[in-house]
Amino acid sequence: MKIYDMDKKEYVEIQKFQNPSTKVEQLSDALYCFKNDIFDVIYDKSQPSLVKYINSLDQGMLKQDGFQFLYFTSGTTGTPTGVYKTKQNSLKQSQALIKTFNGKKFNRVVTTVPFVHIYGVDIGGVVPMDLDIDVWTKENFLPQELAVEAQVEGTLVVTTPVFIKALNRIKKDVKFTNTLFLTSTAPLPLQDAKEFHEHYDASVMQLFASTETGLMAYKTDDEEILKTYDGISIGEDSGMLNISSPLVTQKTINEGVLKDVVQPFQTEDIVEILNEKKFKLLGRSSNLAKIAGKRVSTQQIENLVESIDGIEAVLIKIRKDDRALKDEILDVYVQGDIELKAKELREILKENFGSIHIPFKIHNHKQILRSSVGKKIGFE
Amino acid sequence: MVTTNDLKEKIIDGLGLEDIEIDEIEDNMALFGDDGLGLDSVDAIELTLILEKEFGVKVTNMEESSSIFATPNTLVAYINEYKEANK
Repeated sequence: MKIYDMDKKEYVEIQKFQNPSTKVEQLSDALYCFKNDIFDVIYDKSQPSLVKYINSLDQGMLKQDGFQFLYFTSGTTGTPTGVYKTKQNSLKQSQALIKTFNGKKFNRVVTTVPFVHIYGVDIGGVVPMDLDIDVWTKENFLPQELAVEAQVEGTLVVTTPVFIKALNRIKKDVKFTNTLFLTSTAPLPLQDAKEFHEHYDASVMQLFASTETGLMAYKTDDEEILKTYDGISIGEDSGMLNISSPLVTQKTINEGVLKDVVQPFQTEDIVEILNEKKFKLLGRSSNLAKIAGKRVSTQQIENLVESIDGIEAVLIKIRKDDRALKDEILDVYVQGDIELKAKELREILKENFGSIHIPFKIHNHKQILRSSVGKKIGFE
Repeated sequence: MVTTNDLKEKIIDGLGLEDIEIDEIEDNMALFGDDGLGLDSVDAIELTLILEKEFGVKVTNMEESSSIFATPNTLVAYINEYKEANK
């Protein structure tokens, strides 16, 4: 298995990079570490607040015996969560996913996702390694470029709803009949999945997963029901999904503290369980927005804005717009003596979240309403 | 002829930049990166879709797009040249 750098038009052997900065380098480095049992910490170094947080941790605590990777991802309270994964988590996951291909063979993977989180490394990297097929990637794809690659027979595309939606909008007059698209990091609206399948004669498989749990379930094309992977047991508590699985992390770092994870693992996904292997996803209860698949903590943003003199309280609501590529927009309700300006909020977001451009709308002069225990519950 | 104001209006609408006015986007302002409008790679995809839908202009690879999308001026110049060449 090799990596094909589509920008430089050359194959790259899997090798170690000291400070990987490009996608190809990040993938190569992660796979080198995986093959050689070298522990590594993987996170998006373009997010300044994440870098700062990780550097503030006791570095001696980070490496834990028996684990392959430590991933950092946004936590609901705003403090990033560290999630440990073993090699077995990744390999078992890969086998569970490959089983759902029902014998279909691929000769390469084309991936649009970066390799700074588990989806990229595990699905975009470990799965092709397990299948012993090459990975093709480039720094930035346009949907038109992905369409060209997807027409090549035997291609497995690892991508996100952004590209499925974009391909729907350009409606190229081509078919991807012998290509399978995998999408994850955010739900793909039913209408988009149906449209894609019908127009391009291609299958799109949605992977329902999280960094903490790994893969949990999947659905294909316009199916509404999610089916669990082999070895996954599901339950619910107050309508929210919990799972027991060999793919769930055994250790996390929460608020700077190392914690063992107890199963079943409780998620914040609101579900309707149909039977032991099937469920419907109804929503998400957390304060985490998904902006183009990246987790953004609304509580973290509220805390940051509330630190501005003259701002008394901030409540952020997530607004959905399924047709947009960035389908979650933040409505920012502000209580205070001063008005929050868009430029000021953009600066705060840039300082903390780096390169991701987060869509928002500010609503000043609001009164934030609180419950009897002080929790923000609305505005007027 | 497409003007920079025509383009800015489509960018604001298409990217959902609800808190930005047309005159806040300068003609020579960088659209991407830390200085300027601060758009990201997903916005770049959305921009190519806007160009195709609103102006009938195609951008087919990322390498081409990086110079075209530098500022509103460069983007408008590309749009007008493309439309002229494809009359």
